[in-house]
Amino acid sequence: MPTPRAIASPTPQSIATYVTKNAAHVKRAQKHRHGTMESVREADYAGHHIVVRTRYQVEVDGHMLMGHMGVTNDGQVHYHPVPNLAFASAVDLVKRLIDIFPDDFAKKGRSGMGGMRMGKRKNRQR
Amino acid sequence: MAITRPNLLTNAVARQKYGQGVNALKAEFTGPTTASLGIPGAPKPVSTYDLFVVWHHTAMSTMTPPTQGDRNAAHRGPVFCPWHRFMLLQLELNLQRVLNDSTFGLPYWDWAGDGQKTASQQKKSKVWAADAMGGSGSPVKTGPFKFKTTDPATFRVRIEANVNGQLVQTNHGLRRSLGAQITKLPDRADTASAVTLTPYDASAWDTAASGFRNRLEGWAPPMTPALHNRVHVWVGGDMLPSSSPNDPVFFMNHCNVDRIWEAWLVQHGRTYLPPQSAPSFLKGHRINDLMASLVSAPMKPSDVLNMTSSYVYDSLAV
Repeated sequence: MPTPRAIASPTPQSIATYVTKNAAHVKRAQKHRHGTMESVREADYAGHHIVVRTRYQVEVDGHMLMGHMGVTNDGQVHYHPVPNLAFASAVDLVKRLIDIFPDDFAKKGRSGMGGMRMGKRKNRQR
Repeated sequence: MAITRPNLLTNAVARQKYGQGVNALKAEFTGPTTASLGIPGAPKPVSTYDLFVVWHHTAMSTMTPPTQGDRNAAHRGPVFCPWHRFMLLQLELNLQRVLNDSTFGLPYWDWAGDGQKTASQQKKSKVWAADAMGGSGSPVKTGPFKFKTTDPATFRVRIEANVNGQLVQTNHGLRRSLGAQITKLPDRADTASAVTLTPYDASAWDTAASGFRNRLEGWAPPMTPALHNRVHVWVGGDMLPSSSPNDPVFFMNHCNVDRIWEAWLVQHGRTYLPPQSAPSFLKGHRINDLMASLVSAPMKPSDVLNMTSSYVYDSLAV
């Protein structure tokens, strides 16, 4: 049986030191953005190797969603910024995002743009 | 000597101290700023409590491995239980420090007990009373985390994840919408059946895996979202995005998740999967891999499989 390791008691100084040490990783995660999102599902069946690539490019009011949207092997669609939810439909997922992030989907006519913190669309081709 | 983690509903002192401690950590600034963490906007100090928000979000944004989009450094894979145990330990140690009480044990919310009630009764549970976590609302206007526009000292959400999965600065009161997204909490039958499942985890080590971890996390059929996930969704508001530790009830939920894992460990043995010999694509989830950290030295899953010399629960009846 593994033995528990002694756990150091934190101090304000130790917190500051560790956060400084780990800040570069936080910054890298902050820059992690998508736009067009691809999921690759792989499976083996009856001696054959299956690869399914799914690409999502989602716009709301002309603005692209930039978080990662993926699909699991059982077909459930998920989106990283809402880590506890999965949906059978990407459209249903985006409807729920509009409810969950009210500050990011300010109403048209009030903010002048529907989606003040979303990415700008580069082209209309899909 | 081990401390005891109590039931939130039956320990008024723990309830009161938890609110006091969280607010003290919200008001403590040890040096990190939004700028030093890459959060856009004018640089502002980040409180110790808000560092836990940043930590959770960052771990969730770290894909393991980066070539896939399901498993991350804290969720949707085997490390879910040990990583959150590590996080709870760090919060508990910091609460003990600011409360100047080395015997303080993090209280848990036994949500399956509330899940036995009707949907209407669940929203009126003692958890949401003014002397516990406060109620529902946008913003929450009762309890230790209530918001008053005119009082900058009241509880405020300062950093949150936006719809694109980036941390941004904000300034609003805590938001909850109890029972709005989903009407009922998990119940005793859900927790009891989860604890019987073996092994701890299994291939494909993700949200499609069989085993205890995936059921407890809440991805496995027959009903999703289930258990842990379902509680996040039921509470709603700030419990939904990846910055969900913004709601202090996050830790009450996870303390109960940890208690259920402890019940499983007692019943089935203090074992963990995958072993260190598992392939490298499971790096970050194997028993001796370092877990993502921010405010302390990292720990490994093997470090937290037996915590009985540090803490015990007042009950393992789940």
